[in-house]
Amino acid sequence: MRWVAAVSLVVGLLAGCSNGDDDSNGSSSAGNVVPVSVGQSAVCRTINQLCAVITICQPGTSNCQTVPDVLVDNGSVGLRVFSSVLSTPLAQTVDAQGRAVGECTFFADGGTTWGPVQVADVVLGGEPAVRVPVQVIQSTFGGQSSSSNPCNDEVDIDPQAASFNGILGIGIFRQDCGLVCAVNSNNTLYFSCNGGSCTGVAVPLGDQVQNPVWLLPSNNNGIVITLPNVSAMGAPSVSGSLILGIGTAGNNSPPSGIPVVTTDENGFVTTVYKGRTFSQSIIDSGSNGLFFPDASLRQCAAPLDPFYCPPSAMNLAGTVIGTNGGQIVVPFQVANTENLVQTGNAAFNNLGGDFSIFDWGLPFFLGRTVFIGIEGQSSSLGTGPYFAF
Amino acid sequence: MKSLIGSVAVTLLFAPTVLGPVWAALGEPAASVERDRVIMKGQRQSRPGTGYTIDTISVAGIQVKEYVSPDGVVFAVVWTGTGAPDLQLLLGEYFEEYREGVNAARSHRPKIRKPFQLKSERLVVERGGHSRSLWGRAFLPAALPPGVTAEDIR
Repeated sequence: MRWVAAVSLVVGLLAGCSNGDDDSNGSSSAGNVVPVSVGQSAVCRTINQLCAVITICQPGTSNCQTVPDVLVDNGSVGLRVFSSVLSTPLAQTVDAQGRAVGECTFFADGGTTWGPVQVADVVLGGEPAVRVPVQVIQSTFGGQSSSSNPCNDEVDIDPQAASFNGILGIGIFRQDCGLVCAVNSNNTLYFSCNGGSCTGVAVPLGDQVQNPVWLLPSNNNGIVITLPNVSAMGAPSVSGSLILGIGTAGNNSPPSGIPVVTTDENGFVTTVYKGRTFSQSIIDSGSNGLFFPDASLRQCAAPLDPFYCPPSAMNLAGTVIGTNGGQIVVPFQVANTENLVQTGNAAFNNLGGDFSIFDWGLPFFLGRTVFIGIEGQSSSLGTGPYFAF
Repeated sequence: MKSLIGSVAVTLLFAPTVLGPVWAALGEPAASVERDRVIMKGQRQSRPGTGYTIDTISVAGIQVKEYVSPDGVVFAVVWTGTGAPDLQLLLGEYFEEYREGVNAARSHRPKIRKPFQLKSERLVVERGGHSRSLWGRAFLPAALPPGVTAEDIR
Protein backbone atom coordinates (compact mmCIF):
# COMPACT_ATOMS: atom_id res chain seq x y z
CA MET A 1 0.00 0.00 0.00
CA ARG A 2 2.72 2.37 0.99
CA TRP A 3 4.75 1.31 -2.04
CA VAL A 4 1.83 1.96 -4.39
CA ALA A 5 1.32 5.38 -2.90
CA ALA A 6 4.98 6.22 -3.38
CA VAL A 7 4.97 5.16 -7.03
CA SER A 8 1.89 7.22 -7.89
CA LEU A 9 3.45 10.18 -6.12
CA VAL A 10 6.62 9.92 -8.19
CA VAL A 11 4.63 9.66 -11.42
CA GLY A 12 2.65 12.73 -10.42
CA LEU A 13 5.79 14.69 -9.71
CA LEU A 14 7.41 13.70 -12.98
CA ALA A 15 4.28 14.81 -14.79
CA GLY A 16 4.53 18.11 -12.96
CA CYS A 17 8.10 18.50 -14.12
CA SER A 18 7.56 17.82 -17.79
CA ASN A 19 4.21 19.59 -18.02
CA GLY A 20 5.25 22.64 -16.06
CA ASP A 21 4.91 24.96 -19.03
CA ASP A 22 1.34 23.88 -19.72
CA ASP A 23 0.11 24.65 -16.23
CA SER A 24 0.54 28.40 -16.02
CA ASN A 25 -2.89 29.21 -14.60
CA GLY A 26 -3.65 26.11 -12.65
CA SER A 27 -3.59 27.56 -9.16
CA SER A 28 -7.09 26.35 -8.37
CA SER A 29 -6.17 22.72 -8.98
CA ALA A 30 -4.64 20.51 -6.35
CA GLY A 31 -1.30 21.20 -8.00
CA ASN A 32 -0.47 23.31 -4.97
CA VAL A 33 -0.28 20.29 -2.70
CA VAL A 34 2.91 18.54 -1.65
CA PRO A 35 2.12 15.31 0.23
CA VAL A 36 4.03 15.08 3.53
CA SER A 37 4.37 12.23 5.99
CA VAL A 38 5.92 10.96 9.19
CA GLY A 39 7.13 7.38 9.62
CA GLN A 40 6.94 6.19 6.02
CA SER A 41 10.56 5.89 5.02
CA ALA A 42 13.87 4.27 5.84
CA VAL A 43 16.02 7.40 5.64
CA CYS A 44 13.62 9.93 7.13
CA ARG A 45 13.15 7.74 10.18
CA THR A 46 13.30 9.93 13.26
CA ILE A 47 10.26 10.14 15.50
CA ASN A 48 8.07 13.09 14.45
CA GLN A 49 10.22 13.81 11.40
CA LEU A 50 8.06 15.33 8.65
CA CYS A 51 9.28 14.59 5.14
CA ALA A 52 8.29 15.06 1.51
CA VAL A 53 9.39 14.20 -2.02
CA ILE A 54 10.57 17.04 -4.24
CA THR A 55 11.65 17.17 -7.85
CA ILE A 56 14.86 18.88 -8.89
CA CYS A 57 15.86 19.61 -12.48
CA GLN A 58 18.88 20.85 -14.37
CA PRO A 59 17.97 24.50 -15.07
CA GLY A 60 16.09 25.01 -18.32
CA THR A 61 15.88 21.33 -19.14
CA SER A 62 13.56 18.40 -18.55
CA ASN A 63 16.45 16.52 -16.99
CA CYS A 64 14.79 15.96 -13.63
CA GLN A 65 14.95 13.61 -10.69
CA THR A 66 12.84 13.11 -7.60
CA VAL A 67 14.43 13.35 -4.19
CA PRO A 68 12.54 11.53 -1.44
CA ASP A 69 13.10 11.92 2.31
CA VAL A 70 13.41 15.68 2.34
CA LEU A 71 12.78 17.21 5.78
CA VAL A 72 9.92 19.72 5.71
CA ASP A 73 11.24 22.52 7.89
CA ASN A 74 9.58 25.88 8.39
CA GLY A 75 12.46 26.76 10.74
CA SER A 76 14.92 27.19 7.89
CA VAL A 77 14.91 28.84 4.50
CA GLY A 78 15.93 27.22 1.22
CA LEU A 79 16.31 23.78 -0.29
CA ARG A 80 19.43 21.80 0.64
CA VAL A 81 20.18 18.39 -0.87
CA PHE A 82 23.09 16.00 -0.33
CA SER A 83 25.32 15.77 -3.39
CA SER A 84 25.40 11.98 -2.99
CA VAL A 85 21.70 11.70 -3.92
CA LEU A 86 21.89 14.12 -6.85
CA SER A 87 22.32 12.67 -10.30
CA THR A 88 21.19 15.87 -12.00
CA PRO A 89 23.80 18.51 -12.85
CA LEU A 90 22.99 21.97 -11.49
CA ALA A 91 24.50 25.38 -12.28
CA GLN A 92 27.23 26.57 -9.92
CA THR A 93 26.91 30.11 -8.53
CA VAL A 94 30.07 32.22 -8.75
CA ASP A 95 31.22 35.52 -7.28
CA ALA A 96 32.39 38.58 -9.24
CA GLN A 97 35.81 36.96 -9.71
CA GLY A 98 34.29 33.77 -11.06
CA ARG A 99 35.06 31.75 -7.92
CA ALA A 100 32.56 29.08 -6.85
CA VAL A 101 30.31 30.16 -3.99
CA GLY A 102 29.64 27.83 -1.04
CA GLU A 103 27.73 28.18 2.16
CA CYS A 104 27.81 27.19 5.81
CA THR A 105 24.34 26.70 7.20
CA PHE A 106 23.91 26.55 10.94
CA PHE A 107 20.94 24.78 12.49
CA ALA A 108 19.58 25.18 15.98
CA ASP A 109 20.24 21.53 16.81
CA GLY A 110 23.98 22.14 16.46
CA GLY A 111 24.09 20.63 12.99
CA THR A 112 25.93 22.41 10.20
CA THR A 113 25.90 21.87 6.44
CA TRP A 114 28.61 22.96 3.99
CA GLY A 115 28.55 22.86 0.22
CA PRO A 116 28.22 24.77 -3.03
CA VAL A 117 25.37 27.11 -3.88
CA GLN A 118 23.90 25.98 -7.19
CA VAL A 119 20.89 26.99 -9.25
CA ALA A 120 18.19 24.39 -9.86
CA ASP A 121 14.69 24.24 -11.25
CA VAL A 122 12.68 22.96 -8.31
CA VAL A 123 9.21 21.49 -8.61
CA LEU A 124 6.93 21.46 -5.57
CA GLY A 125 3.85 19.30 -6.01
CA GLY A 126 2.21 20.12 -9.33
CA GLU A 127 3.43 23.72 -9.44
CA PRO A 128 5.50 25.04 -12.32
CA ALA A 129 9.23 24.71 -11.76
CA VAL A 130 10.94 27.66 -10.05
CA ARG A 131 14.55 28.55 -10.75
CA VAL A 132 16.21 28.98 -7.36
CA PRO A 133 19.65 28.85 -5.73
CA VAL A 134 19.91 25.80 -3.47
CA GLN A 135 22.67 24.39 -1.30
CA VAL A 136 24.25 21.11 -2.38
CA ILE A 137 25.44 19.51 0.87
CA GLN A 138 28.98 18.33 0.24
CA SER A 139 31.58 18.35 3.03
CA THR A 140 34.50 18.19 0.57
CA PHE A 141 33.46 21.20 -1.53
CA GLY A 142 36.26 23.72 -2.12
CA GLY A 143 38.94 21.32 -0.91
CA GLN A 144 37.46 21.27 2.60
CA SER A 145 36.54 18.39 4.91
CA SER A 146 33.93 17.53 7.53
CA SER A 147 36.26 18.63 10.32
CA SER A 148 38.22 21.40 8.58
CA ASN A 149 36.05 23.95 6.80
CA PRO A 150 35.02 27.60 7.04
CA CYS A 151 32.07 26.73 9.31
CA ASN A 152 34.37 26.16 12.30
CA ASP A 153 32.36 23.07 13.12
CA GLU A 154 31.78 19.47 12.09
CA VAL A 155 29.53 19.41 9.04
CA ASP A 156 27.06 16.76 7.84
CA ILE A 157 28.61 14.11 5.63
CA ASP A 158 25.86 11.76 4.46
CA PRO A 159 22.08 11.22 4.41
CA GLN A 160 22.16 8.15 6.65
CA ALA A 161 23.85 9.99 9.50
CA ALA A 162 21.70 13.07 9.00
CA SER A 163 18.55 10.95 8.46
CA PHE A 164 17.43 13.02 5.50
CA ASN A 165 18.37 13.42 1.85
CA GLY A 166 17.76 17.12 2.08
CA ILE A 167 15.93 19.90 3.85
CA LEU A 168 13.06 21.85 2.33
CA GLY A 169 13.30 25.15 4.20
CA ILE A 170 9.93 26.83 3.72
CA GLY A 171 10.11 29.29 6.60
CA ILE A 172 8.85 32.85 6.91
CA PHE A 173 11.72 34.57 5.08
CA ARG A 174 12.48 34.95 1.39
CA GLN A 175 16.25 34.40 1.53
CA ASP A 176 18.20 32.46 4.13
CA CYS A 177 20.36 35.44 5.07
CA GLY A 178 19.06 38.65 3.53
CA LEU A 179 20.68 42.08 3.50
CA VAL A 180 23.43 41.20 5.96
CA CYS A 181 25.00 38.81 3.47
CA ALA A 182 24.39 41.15 0.53
CA VAL A 183 26.61 43.84 2.05
CA ASN A 184 29.11 42.04 4.33
CA SER A 185 31.77 39.63 3.15
CA ASN A 186 32.45 38.48 6.72
CA ASN A 187 28.88 37.25 7.20
CA THR A 188 30.11 33.74 8.27
CA LEU A 189 27.62 32.04 5.92
CA TYR A 190 28.78 32.60 2.33
CA PHE A 191 32.29 31.88 1.04
CA SER A 192 33.93 31.74 -2.35
CA CYS A 193 36.53 29.07 -2.95
CA ASN A 194 39.59 28.87 -5.12
CA GLY A 195 42.52 26.46 -5.03
CA GLY A 196 41.50 24.83 -1.77
CA SER A 197 41.00 28.06 0.11
CA CYS A 198 37.66 29.69 0.91
CA THR A 199 37.10 33.28 2.00
CA GLY A 200 33.99 35.17 3.05
CA VAL A 201 32.00 36.80 0.27
CA ALA A 202 28.99 39.10 0.00
CA VAL A 203 26.21 37.59 -2.11
CA PRO A 204 23.38 39.59 -3.76
CA LEU A 205 19.90 38.74 -2.50
CA GLY A 206 18.94 37.00 -5.74
CA ASP A 207 21.93 34.67 -5.55
CA GLN A 208 21.32 33.65 -1.95
CA VAL A 209 19.75 30.30 -1.11
CA GLN A 210 16.07 31.01 -0.84
CA ASN A 211 12.59 29.87 -0.14
CA PRO A 212 11.26 28.38 -3.41
CA VAL A 213 7.67 29.17 -2.41
CA TRP A 214 7.92 32.94 -2.73
CA LEU A 215 9.30 32.52 -6.27
CA LEU A 216 6.24 30.62 -7.50
CA PRO A 217 4.19 32.48 -10.13
CA SER A 218 1.14 32.17 -7.87
CA ASN A 219 0.45 30.52 -4.51
CA ASN A 220 3.56 32.38 -3.37
CA ASN A 221 2.42 34.26 -0.27
CA GLY A 222 2.87 31.47 2.24
CA ILE A 223 2.18 27.86 3.07
CA VAL A 224 -0.31 25.75 4.94
CA ILE A 225 0.75 22.64 6.83
CA THR A 226 -2.15 20.36 7.69
CA LEU A 227 -1.74 17.08 9.52
CA PRO A 228 -4.22 14.67 11.12
CA ASN A 229 -4.16 14.08 14.84
CA VAL A 230 -2.99 10.87 16.48
CA SER A 231 -4.12 9.02 19.59
CA ALA A 232 -2.45 9.40 22.99
CA MET A 233 -0.09 6.50 22.24
CA GLY A 234 0.81 7.85 18.81
CA ALA A 235 0.54 6.35 15.35
CA PRO A 236 2.96 4.34 13.18
CA SER A 237 2.69 7.02 10.51
CA VAL A 238 0.71 10.06 9.44
CA SER A 239 0.10 11.60 6.06
CA GLY A 240 -0.86 15.19 5.44
CA SER A 241 -0.30 18.11 3.13
CA LEU A 242 2.00 21.03 2.60
CA ILE A 243 -0.28 23.38 0.66
CA LEU A 244 1.26 26.27 -1.25
CA GLY A 245 -0.35 29.70 -1.02
CA ILE A 246 -2.76 31.21 1.47
CA GLY A 247 -6.26 32.15 0.32
CA THR A 248 -5.33 31.63 -3.32
CA ALA A 249 -7.32 28.44 -3.90
CA GLY A 250 -10.17 26.47 -2.44
CA ASN A 251 -7.81 24.24 -0.48
CA ASN A 252 -5.82 26.98 1.26
CA SER A 253 -8.48 29.47 2.31
CA PRO A 254 -8.29 30.38 5.98
CA PRO A 255 -11.50 29.99 7.96
CA SER A 256 -13.01 33.37 8.79
CA GLY A 257 -11.98 34.73 12.16
CA ILE A 258 -8.88 32.56 12.46
CA PRO A 259 -6.50 34.29 14.91
CA VAL A 260 -3.23 35.60 13.52
CA VAL A 261 0.04 36.13 15.40
CA THR A 262 2.65 38.20 13.59
CA THR A 263 6.28 37.51 14.43
CA ASP A 264 8.93 40.03 15.37
CA GLU A 265 11.57 41.00 12.81
CA ASN A 266 13.57 37.91 13.79
CA GLY A 267 10.66 35.57 13.17
CA PHE A 268 10.05 34.91 16.86
CA VAL A 269 6.78 34.83 18.76
CA THR A 270 6.27 35.10 22.50
CA THR A 271 4.98 32.21 24.59
CA VAL A 272 3.66 32.60 28.12
CA TYR A 273 3.78 29.34 30.03
CA LYS A 274 3.01 28.96 33.75
CA GLY A 275 3.48 32.69 34.20
CA ARG A 276 6.88 32.82 32.52
CA THR A 277 7.38 34.75 29.28
CA PHE A 278 9.59 33.38 26.50
CA SER A 279 10.13 36.01 23.85
CA GLN A 280 12.29 33.95 21.46
CA SER A 281 9.73 31.20 20.92
CA ILE A 282 9.57 29.34 17.64
CA ILE A 283 6.95 27.30 15.81
CA ASP A 284 9.09 24.77 13.97
CA SER A 285 8.05 21.69 12.00
CA GLY A 286 11.71 20.63 11.95
CA SER A 287 11.83 20.09 15.74
CA ASN A 288 10.54 16.70 16.75
CA GLY A 289 9.07 17.57 20.14
CA LEU A 290 7.64 20.34 22.26
CA PHE A 291 10.67 21.79 24.04
CA PHE A 292 10.30 24.13 27.00
CA PRO A 293 11.51 24.48 30.57
CA ASP A 294 9.48 23.01 33.42
CA ALA A 295 11.39 21.85 36.48
CA SER A 296 8.25 20.13 37.80
CA LEU A 297 8.28 17.60 34.96
CA ARG A 298 10.48 14.57 35.53
CA GLN A 299 13.16 14.10 32.90
CA CYS A 300 13.76 10.67 31.39
CA ALA A 301 16.82 8.55 32.08
CA ALA A 302 19.48 8.23 29.35
CA PRO A 303 19.32 7.86 26.39
CA LEU A 304 15.98 9.72 26.42
CA ASP A 305 17.23 12.24 28.98
CA PRO A 306 16.35 15.52 27.29
CA PHE A 307 12.74 14.34 27.09
CA TYR A 308 10.13 14.43 29.82
CA CYS A 309 8.93 11.26 31.54
CA PRO A 310 6.12 12.30 33.91
CA PRO A 311 4.55 9.29 35.71
CA SER A 312 1.25 10.11 33.99
CA ALA A 313 0.36 12.36 31.07
CA MET A 314 0.17 16.04 32.01
CA ASN A 315 -2.41 18.47 30.62
CA LEU A 316 -0.68 21.79 30.02
CA ALA A 317 -1.20 24.99 28.04
CA GLY A 318 0.81 27.88 26.67
CA THR A 319 -0.29 31.16 25.15
CA VAL A 320 1.32 32.21 21.87
CA ILE A 321 1.44 36.00 21.47
CA GLY A 322 2.30 37.97 18.33
CA THR A 323 3.65 41.47 17.87
CA ASN A 324 0.16 42.39 16.58
CA GLY A 325 -1.28 41.59 20.02
CA GLY A 326 -2.84 38.38 18.73
CA GLN A 327 -3.02 35.69 21.41
CA ILE A 328 -3.78 32.02 20.97
CA VAL A 329 -4.07 29.57 23.87
CA VAL A 330 -2.56 26.21 22.94
CA PRO A 331 -3.54 23.30 25.17
CA PHE A 332 -1.18 20.34 24.93
CA GLN A 333 -0.19 17.13 26.65
CA VAL A 334 3.16 15.77 27.67
CA ALA A 335 3.24 12.00 28.17
CA ASN A 336 5.91 9.64 29.47
CA THR A 337 8.42 9.44 26.63
CA GLU A 338 9.65 5.97 27.64
CA ASN A 339 6.12 4.63 27.28
CA LEU A 340 5.70 6.39 23.94
CA VAL A 341 8.95 5.05 22.49
CA GLN A 342 8.08 1.50 23.57
CA THR A 343 5.08 1.53 21.22
CA GLY A 344 7.42 1.65 18.24
CA ASN A 345 5.21 4.36 16.76
CA ALA A 346 6.65 7.31 14.83
CA ALA A 347 4.19 10.17 15.34
CA PHE A 348 3.30 11.56 18.76
CA ASN A 349 1.40 14.71 19.73
CA ASN A 350 2.54 14.57 23.35
CA LEU A 351 6.32 14.28 23.12
CA GLY A 352 8.00 16.95 25.24
CA GLY A 353 11.47 17.77 26.47
CA ASP A 354 13.57 20.35 28.24
CA PHE A 355 14.93 23.55 26.72
CA SER A 356 15.36 27.10 27.94
CA ILE A 357 12.81 28.72 25.60
CA PHE A 358 9.59 27.50 23.98
CA ASP A 359 9.97 25.47 20.77
CA TRP A 360 6.60 24.36 19.36
CA GLY A 361 7.81 21.42 17.30
CA LEU A 362 5.99 18.82 15.23
CA PRO A 363 3.51 17.69 17.95
CA PHE A 364 2.03 21.19 17.69
CA PHE A 365 1.24 20.59 13.99
CA LEU A 366 -0.56 17.26 14.54
CA GLY A 367 -4.31 17.78 14.39
CA ARG A 368 -3.93 21.36 13.17
CA THR A 369 -3.96 23.42 10.03
CA VAL A 370 -1.24 26.05 10.36
CA PHE A 371 -0.98 29.04 8.00
CA ILE A 372 2.53 30.48 7.68
CA GLY A 373 2.90 33.83 5.87
CA ILE A 374 6.17 34.74 4.13
CA GLU A 375 7.79 38.14 4.79
CA GLY A 376 6.51 40.93 2.57
CA GLN A 377 3.85 38.70 0.98
CA SER A 378 0.19 39.57 1.49
CA SER A 379 -2.91 37.47 1.93
CA SER A 380 -6.33 37.92 3.51
CA LEU A 381 -4.56 37.28 6.83
CA GLY A 382 -2.22 40.25 6.39
CA THR A 383 1.39 40.70 5.36
CA GLY A 384 3.99 38.15 6.48
CA PRO A 385 5.72 37.07 8.52
CA TYR A 386 2.88 35.60 10.58
CA PHE A 387 1.36 32.38 11.83
CA ALA A 388 -2.37 31.65 11.98
CA PHE A 389 -3.93 28.52 13.41
CA MET B 1 49.68 47.84 28.63
CA LYS B 2 46.98 48.76 26.17
CA SER B 3 49.46 49.19 23.33
CA LEU B 4 51.07 45.86 24.15
CA ILE B 5 47.74 44.07 23.81
CA GLY B 6 47.14 45.98 20.60
CA SER B 7 50.38 44.87 19.04
CA VAL B 8 49.84 41.27 20.09
CA ALA B 9 46.40 41.35 18.51
CA VAL B 10 47.74 42.86 15.30
CA THR B 11 50.35 40.12 15.11
CA LEU B 12 47.58 37.59 15.52
CA LEU B 13 45.59 39.11 12.71
CA PHE B 14 48.40 38.40 10.35
CA ALA B 15 49.09 34.95 11.73
CA PRO B 16 45.64 33.42 12.16
CA THR B 17 46.95 29.88 12.40
CA VAL B 18 48.35 30.56 15.87
CA LEU B 19 44.88 31.44 17.16
CA GLY B 20 43.98 28.96 19.82
CA PRO B 21 42.14 28.50 23.03
CA VAL B 22 44.56 30.82 24.83
CA TRP B 23 42.79 33.79 23.23
CA ALA B 24 39.32 32.74 24.19
CA ALA B 25 36.90 34.67 26.32
CA LEU B 26 34.81 32.30 28.42
CA GLY B 27 36.52 31.85 31.78
CA GLU B 28 39.29 34.25 30.75
CA PRO B 29 40.09 37.70 32.16
CA ALA B 30 38.09 40.64 30.83
CA ALA B 31 41.04 41.72 28.68
CA SER B 32 40.25 38.83 26.33
CA VAL B 33 37.09 40.68 25.24
CA GLU B 34 39.23 43.27 23.49
CA ARG B 35 41.27 40.52 21.82
CA ASP B 36 38.03 38.96 20.57
CA ARG B 37 36.89 42.32 19.23
CA VAL B 38 40.12 42.87 17.33
CA ILE B 39 40.13 39.35 15.88
CA MET B 40 36.44 39.67 14.90
CA LYS B 41 37.11 43.18 13.53
CA GLY B 42 33.98 44.31 15.37
CA GLN B 43 32.66 47.35 17.22
CA ARG B 44 32.63 47.24 21.01
CA GLN B 45 30.37 48.77 23.60
CA SER B 46 30.23 48.32 27.38
CA ARG B 47 27.33 48.75 29.73
CA PRO B 48 26.97 47.90 33.40
CA GLY B 49 24.40 45.31 34.49
CA THR B 50 23.36 44.41 38.02
CA GLY B 51 26.47 42.88 39.53
CA TYR B 52 28.28 42.51 36.23
CA THR B 53 29.27 44.30 33.04
CA ILE B 54 28.20 43.41 29.51
CA ASP B 55 30.65 43.99 26.67
CA THR B 56 29.01 43.87 23.28
CA ILE B 57 30.93 43.18 20.06
CA SER B 58 28.99 43.76 16.82
CA VAL B 59 30.12 42.68 13.38
CA ALA B 60 28.35 41.80 10.11
CA GLY B 61 24.94 40.92 11.50
CA ILE B 62 26.30 39.13 14.55
CA GLN B 63 26.22 40.49 18.08
CA VAL B 64 28.34 38.90 20.81
CA LYS B 65 27.75 39.82 24.43
CA GLU B 66 30.41 38.91 26.96
CA TYR B 67 29.37 39.03 30.62
CA VAL B 68 32.18 40.14 32.94
CA SER B 69 31.97 39.54 36.69
CA PRO B 70 33.06 42.13 39.28
CA ASP B 71 36.35 40.22 39.69
CA GLY B 72 37.05 40.60 35.99
CA VAL B 73 36.28 37.16 34.58
CA VAL B 74 34.08 36.45 31.54
CA PHE B 75 31.45 34.10 32.98
CA ALA B 76 29.01 34.05 30.05
CA VAL B 77 28.87 34.65 26.31
CA VAL B 78 25.68 35.25 24.31
CA TRP B 79 25.51 35.55 20.54
CA THR B 80 22.69 36.39 18.11
CA GLY B 81 22.58 37.02 14.39
CA THR B 82 22.27 35.73 10.87
CA GLY B 83 25.50 33.78 11.10
CA ALA B 84 27.57 32.21 13.85
CA PRO B 85 30.68 33.55 15.56
CA ASP B 86 33.89 31.53 15.86
CA LEU B 87 33.04 29.50 18.93
CA GLN B 88 36.59 28.26 19.27
CA LEU B 89 37.50 31.87 19.94
CA LEU B 90 34.62 32.57 22.31
CA LEU B 91 34.52 29.28 24.22
CA GLY B 92 38.29 28.84 24.48
CA GLU B 93 39.28 26.04 26.80
CA TYR B 94 35.62 24.95 26.87
CA PHE B 95 35.40 24.55 23.11
CA GLU B 96 36.42 20.87 23.06
CA GLU B 97 33.74 20.06 25.62
CA TYR B 98 31.20 21.85 23.44
CA ARG B 99 32.41 20.04 20.33
CA GLU B 100 32.11 16.68 22.05
CA GLY B 101 28.60 17.68 23.09
CA VAL B 102 27.65 18.51 19.50
CA ASN B 103 29.04 15.22 18.25
CA ALA B 104 27.20 13.32 20.99
CA ALA B 105 23.93 15.07 20.02
CA ARG B 106 24.58 14.33 16.37
CA SER B 107 25.10 10.60 16.93
CA HIS B 108 22.40 10.32 19.60
CA ARG B 109 19.88 7.52 18.95
CA PRO B 110 16.98 7.89 18.94
CA LYS B 111 17.82 10.99 16.94
CA ILE B 112 16.58 14.18 18.51
CA ARG B 113 15.76 17.32 16.56
CA LYS B 114 15.77 20.02 19.15
CA PRO B 115 17.74 23.15 19.89
CA PHE B 116 21.22 22.15 21.03
CA GLN B 117 21.80 21.95 24.76
CA LEU B 118 24.85 20.90 26.77
CA LYS B 119 24.20 21.08 30.47
CA SER B 120 26.72 20.11 33.13
CA GLU B 121 27.72 21.56 36.48
CA ARG B 122 30.78 23.00 34.80
CA LEU B 123 29.40 24.34 31.53
CA VAL B 124 26.08 25.18 29.85
CA VAL B 125 25.95 25.77 26.09
CA GLU B 126 22.74 26.27 24.12
CA ARG B 127 21.96 27.10 20.51
CA GLY B 128 18.57 27.98 19.11
CA GLY B 129 16.58 30.09 16.67
CA HIS B 130 16.17 29.59 12.94
CA SER B 131 17.41 30.91 9.58
CA ARG B 132 18.15 34.68 9.82
CA SER B 133 17.99 34.65 13.62
CA LEU B 134 20.33 32.21 15.25
CA TRP B 135 21.33 32.54 18.87
CA GLY B 136 23.44 30.79 21.41
CA ARG B 137 24.70 31.19 24.90
CA ALA B 138 27.41 29.66 27.04
CA PHE B 139 28.02 30.16 30.71
CA LEU B 140 29.90 28.73 33.65
CA PRO B 141 27.27 27.93 36.32
CA ALA B 142 29.84 27.96 39.14
CA ALA B 143 31.15 31.39 38.08
CA LEU B 144 27.84 33.29 38.08
CA PRO B 145 28.16 36.32 40.38
CA PRO B 146 25.84 36.34 43.43
CA GLY B 147 22.25 37.11 42.43
CA VAL B 148 22.77 36.32 38.73
CA THR B 149 20.71 33.45 37.31
CA ALA B 150 20.65 31.62 33.98
CA GLU B 151 17.60 33.71 33.01
CA ASP B 152 19.73 36.88 33.16
CA ILE B 153 21.96 35.55 30.40
CA ARG B 154 20.07 36.36 27.20
